Amino acid sequence: MKAIDVQSQPLLSFAKTLRIALSGVKYRLFRAMVTVAVISVAMAFLMNILAESLIKKTVADNAQEQIADMRRTDRWIARLSIPQTTGELVEQAASDDTDALTNLKALGQLSDDQAGQLHALSRRALTYLHFFADLDYGRRRVLVGSAESTFIFDRLQEKAAQDQFFQRLSEMKTVRFAGEEADFRAFLTEWPVLRDLTARIRAGQAAAIEAIRGQLQDRSLADALRDAGGAFGDVIRDAGFALDADEAARLTEQVGAVADTAIIDASINDPAMRQAVAARRDIMPGDVTPTVVWNMLRDNNEAAWYLERLIENKFGAADLTATEIAARADSRAHAFLLKQAERATVETGGGLMGIGKRMTWLAFVSMLVCAVGIANAMLMSVTERFREIATLKCLGALDGFIMTVFLIEASILGLVGGIAGTFIGLLIALLRMLAMFKGLLLDAIPLGSLLIASGLSIVIGILLAAVSAVYPSLRAARLAPMEAMRIE
Amino acid sequence: MSTTIAQSASPASGVNERRVIIRSVGMKKIYRRGGEVTHALRGVDVEIYAGEFISVMGPSGSGKSTFFNMIGALDSPSEGRVFIDEVDVAQLTAEELAFLRCRKIGYIFQSYNLIQYMTALENVTTPMAFGGVTPDESRKRGMSLLELVGLKERWFHRPIEMSGGQQQRVAIARALANNPSILLCDEPTANLDHRTGDEILSILEKLNRERGVTIICATHDHRMMNMCDRLMWIRDGAIERIARRDEVEVQLASIE
Repeated sequence: MKAIDVQSQPLLSFAKTLRIALSGVKYRLFRAMVTVAVISVAMAFLMNILAESLIKKTVADNAQEQIADMRRTDRWIARLSIPQTTGELVEQAASDDTDALTNLKALGQLSDDQAGQLHALSRRALTYLHFFADLDYGRRRVLVGSAESTFIFDRLQEKAAQDQFFQRLSEMKTVRFAGEEADFRAFLTEWPVLRDLTARIRAGQAAAIEAIRGQLQDRSLADALRDAGGAFGDVIRDAGFALDADEAARLTEQVGAVADTAIIDASINDPAMRQAVAARRDIMPGDVTPTVVWNMLRDNNEAAWYLERLIENKFGAADLTATEIAARADSRAHAFLLKQAERATVETGGGLMGIGKRMTWLAFVSMLVCAVGIANAMLMSVTERFREIATLKCLGALDGFIMTVFLIEASILGLVGGIAGTFIGLLIALLRMLAMFKGLLLDAIPLGSLLIASGLSIVIGILLAAVSAVYPSLRAARLAPMEAMRIE
Repeated sequence: MSTTIAQSASPASGVNERRVIIRSVGMKKIYRRGGEVTHALRGVDVEIYAGEFISVMGPSGSGKSTFFNMIGALDSPSEGRVFIDEVDVAQLTAEELAFLRCRKIGYIFQSYNLIQYMTALENVTTPMAFGGVTPDESRKRGMSLLELVGLKERWFHRPIEMSGGQQQRVAIARALANNPSILLCDEPTANLDHRTGDEILSILEKLNRERGVTIICATHDHRMMNMCDRLMWIRDGAIERIARRDEVEVQLASIE
């Protein structure tokens, strides 16, 4: 009798394994489609929130710039009415904007050294102010009581207060202070210097405001600002505020627009005007709302008609033109969109790719649900193929081969589901964002980030499918070959 | 990796001096499920010779299936040993077991167990692929095996397009893919009508006579008893009786 050699099995080539996996998927197309649907729904969700957040972020960035621009009038009226708070001054002095610093220096009649000191101290103050602003209410209350902004520094002037502050701070394990204890103590001893400097600036501002008020000549500040490009601009500059020609021109333009808008807004509340509009639009006078009128005015012909009515009813609109009115209506609509965009984008920032912390959590949960769904589908696939797997093992298949087949199957489903889901999610996001932001959307499609997000969610789809298929395929691989013998 | 087992002395057998291809020594199998202990096999000692055609009979629950799993290297015994071609199955790694199943043993199942999404030829060539045969070579061999079972013209058909008898013939061709020395058949004719059953049996007989393949066959089919060399009865997890066919025929005749 001869000795018998038993050798190890050779591994099957990847191409052959792939072919077997593919024909398995093709044979069970319906089940595969269901699994693909599960994956694509989850991926659509992820892609949707990714895409929407990315678009929202871009819109928000654009909108914030424009809104800041729009609030120029408010800013100037505030600036010319009361001196800035110490906190505001510290923030302004800490910025690297030399023009702003020069202006502050002039207002406070500071020397060069003092200006330098102001800038340096303000920068230090700002880091601490940011720390306190980021604290939640409860913690801040424990640390510094009801004090806010720069009043915190006043409160911590006493050594006892400082000791108590650091004592309580050390008890808060999760809070990291903005700097070293010694640095903060050192800063607190210098705080009176900074406070005096800002007080001088505030005094300068108060004097300047007083001077400007003397020049108002019974006009309201808003009225006076219509002349910011002319004589009143000089008044402002003489008082000590920085106002360059460019800023003055924009301010004049904007103040004018605000005044025009105010005239039209007032006219909408006038019964005679309402009736005229109602008759023209063939609606009830009660339905003549500002929105209806402003929408109507975006049309040049309607604006011209409205202008005639305005003059007829003596609304002091003699220096208006139809084109101007239409332009005001357009910019009002635009401003409305911007405000809407600002409200809609409150939640952005933080979390994965800046989609917000809540959304990151939601996405994570949806991935988890999806993983369970895929694992379930793959387990079903394994269960219904018990006999097939066992037979393959009887024919000499290795555990690794069976496992690879199932992992490949899951990855194929993940790929198809990932691509489908990404496409669907992107489409829905674009449509929804179009409905929300309308015209603002066109300038705010971040193509690069969207491409990265698409790639990311396809990869996540494949990984998710593969990872959730690990356990089912392990079960398949461990299956005893004698299962093939079992008779149903 | 290779395992070489020292040969033990050939057992003295009055009837046959042929080579022993499967030998079990005190083979026991105990299933424990939730505290309940089932003795599926209570110590089976059996020797099966190369080139033999042996029928195994027994009522359901007799331990027949367990016996089949053991000698087919599909399961390992709780106690005792199984030697296939003098190799102790318990000593083999998973890869070596796969090798053994792939080349030494061909399995034929009652419900055919063809892979549904593969054509007849693909079904036959799959074990060859596992065994590392090149695609060209396996196609050639697969076609000749299909010719052997009379299905050469239907190589591209899928199992669903074939009758039960045809599927079982494909399954036989698949079992022969890597020239195994043992064919393990689990009631191969149970799901077939009388005439198709005859076809399958004649193929098995031909393989046994012409190629010298050892055939171990679980069956209730009386026709099979007429063509086998030995018959074996299993009852309550033990071998009740092993007899040569001529002995049984005498008995059957005497009953009639």
